[in-house]
Amino acid sequence: MPNTIKTLLIVDDSRVSRMMIRTFVHAKYPQWIIIEAASGNEALQIVDRDTPNYCTMDINMPGLIGTDAAAQILTKYPGIRIVIFSANIQESHQSRAAALGAKFVGKPVTEKSVAQALGFFEGKE
Amino acid sequence: MFHLMQKLSFPEQQELVGKIWDSINSGLILIDSTGKVLFWNEWISMHSGIPCEFAVSRSLESLFPGGLSAAFKSAIKNASLHKLPIVLSNALHRSPLPLYPLPITPLEQDRLQQSIAISPIALSNEISLCLIQITDASLSIKRERVLQSYSKRMSLEAVTDALTGSNNRRFFDERFAVELGRAQRLQIPLSLIMLDVDYFKRYNDEYGHPAGDRVLIAIAQTLKTQLNRTTDVLARYGGEEFVIILPDSGVDGARIVAEKLRSAIIGLNIPHLASMIADHVTISIGIATCQSLVNSAAADLLEIADRALYSAKHGGRNCIRQLIVPELRPDSKFAALS
Amino acid sequence: MNWLSELQIDGLTEVFNIGAGRAAASLSEIVCDEVQLSVPRLQLYNSSEINAATLTLNSLRLGAVKQRFSGPFSADAMLLFTEERALEIVHDMMGSQVSIEDVAEFEQEAMCELGNIILNACLSSIANLLNLTLESSLPSYTIGDTDGVLRGIISDANQPLMLVLHIDLSIENRHSQGLLVFLLSTSSLQKLVSHIDRFISGI
Repeated sequence: MPNTIKTLLIVDDSRVSRMMIRTFVHAKYPQWIIIEAASGNEALQIVDRDTPNYCTMDINMPGLIGTDAAAQILTKYPGIRIVIFSANIQESHQSRAAALGAKFVGKPVTEKSVAQALGFFEGKE
Repeated sequence: MFHLMQKLSFPEQQELVGKIWDSINSGLILIDSTGKVLFWNEWISMHSGIPCEFAVSRSLESLFPGGLSAAFKSAIKNASLHKLPIVLSNALHRSPLPLYPLPITPLEQDRLQQSIAISPIALSNEISLCLIQITDASLSIKRERVLQSYSKRMSLEAVTDALTGSNNRRFFDERFAVELGRAQRLQIPLSLIMLDVDYFKRYNDEYGHPAGDRVLIAIAQTLKTQLNRTTDVLARYGGEEFVIILPDSGVDGARIVAEKLRSAIIGLNIPHLASMIADHVTISIGIATCQSLVNSAAADLLEIADRALYSAKHGGRNCIRQLIVPELRPDSKFAALS
Repeated sequence: MNWLSELQIDGLTEVFNIGAGRAAASLSEIVCDEVQLSVPRLQLYNSSEINAATLTLNSLRLGAVKQRFSGPFSADAMLLFTEERALEIVHDMMGSQVSIEDVAEFEQEAMCELGNIILNACLSSIANLLNLTLESSLPSYTIGDTDGVLRGIISDANQPLMLVLHIDLSIENRHSQGLLVFLLSTSSLQKLVSHIDRFISGI
């Protein structure tokens, strides 16, 4: 399983965050295809075009916020596994993520937090 | 001090430090990284009823079983984890520790009001400690109350016109900016009334300045009683000019208020033999009304009210002129009415 | 603004956003309600350019919570709120059983605690991500007319640079904006930038 090529979409308005997630994911799965989007609206377009397997989604972004973007994506493509990756660690956001069928992972982006996201993608929970 | 310390033996130094700790009129607790008490000053002993000898090398949890608030426990944890100082204000936490006002009685007692500061202390040998400072907050609350009533009086004087007791120009400027912002935010109308006493200079010449002052006082009082809403703001703008902010008042509302004010001043029936238009004191009124503020700046609305007043003066005095700032057309200044 | 590259600004903003997220979580425990706290914008100024207009502070009075911190670089960190907003926030934090008039007497202390929560969250986030140790003084609160408070802030000739973060804070349906200001010397800024560069190049 881990050797198959998967497509991951990273949605975050911070370039540094995208870089960090990409680096940690690539260290573990160098063969994965990684696409980046800097906003929720951009993510919706990319999902229609490329239909990734997995997606990490920031919450606070200009325009469409991450949880709303995730809700729209999951309605249209219920097979995509989404991790809400946010600095906003309040209970209300965690339960919103759970209600959507997504996993919540708190920032900062570290090897550990990325591993949590990958665990969810690979169906370890 | 340093010189003295060198002269003292180690036990003497310890005694000195201990005496200083015990002389301090607030609570001091020093704990190590595992949460065990290292020092505990006399103030804490008195207010907790637990002597220092008993407290040392015991954890706070065991000294105050069930008595520590959750916020206090997480503050201690965070202070040691991030090595950053933390304050727990009395406003939000009241009494985090089971400490009591003196004298402590065996009866059920309310806890002491506390303000707490927690400072992590890192020594150069990597030992990290935590200093907890507790002060009796009821003292600072009293002080705050006194300061507050003082500053209230001061600020009242700063915004009141000494002669008429109305708000002064400064108060008006502040409130006008606030109301303008509110009207813009909520997209509600705003009206501004500017008025002055007709032939006031002639009145002063005829009756003298003290009489003129009495007219201004009477007018200020009358205007005030005519304004029913607490949100309406009357201020003396300068000389014989007054200004009134009418939040959330459109064309008709402002006009009705203005008419009430004009009649009320006539109703005072103050003789004015030098007036060219009546035998009593009258006022001229200019109104600027903005139905929905788009880009109007404060200065614009003031200027428009001033122009309306000017036109009332030139239109025969003892009358009202209203100018309306048009909606959605911030480029063209205003359209005249009446 | 040429002091910082776009990537450096992005990195710093993200560090502060994580701090703001932690602060929001602590505040929401106090108010028992959701708290939105974000850092949408970061700017660097010379203190000579600073006035109420550049900072978009249109209020007559300001409250400022200040902590001086030190470590590999040192700075005065300050949280600025317009006074009426500050009172509303304290009111929300204390719960509705307290009248807004009574809140004023607790303002000083409660603002100290609010500022302390936000400043500590940001400082610890900087320290964690950049992997360094920072020490800090206890917070102090001052309140005064806007120009006076700003004059006091920029009068320190040793710290001529101001890193300004615009903060959006909403509790329940109240929305408020504050500023997080770091006053730095030229050399402290250089050290901060070099730590950020090291952090970014380590990705």
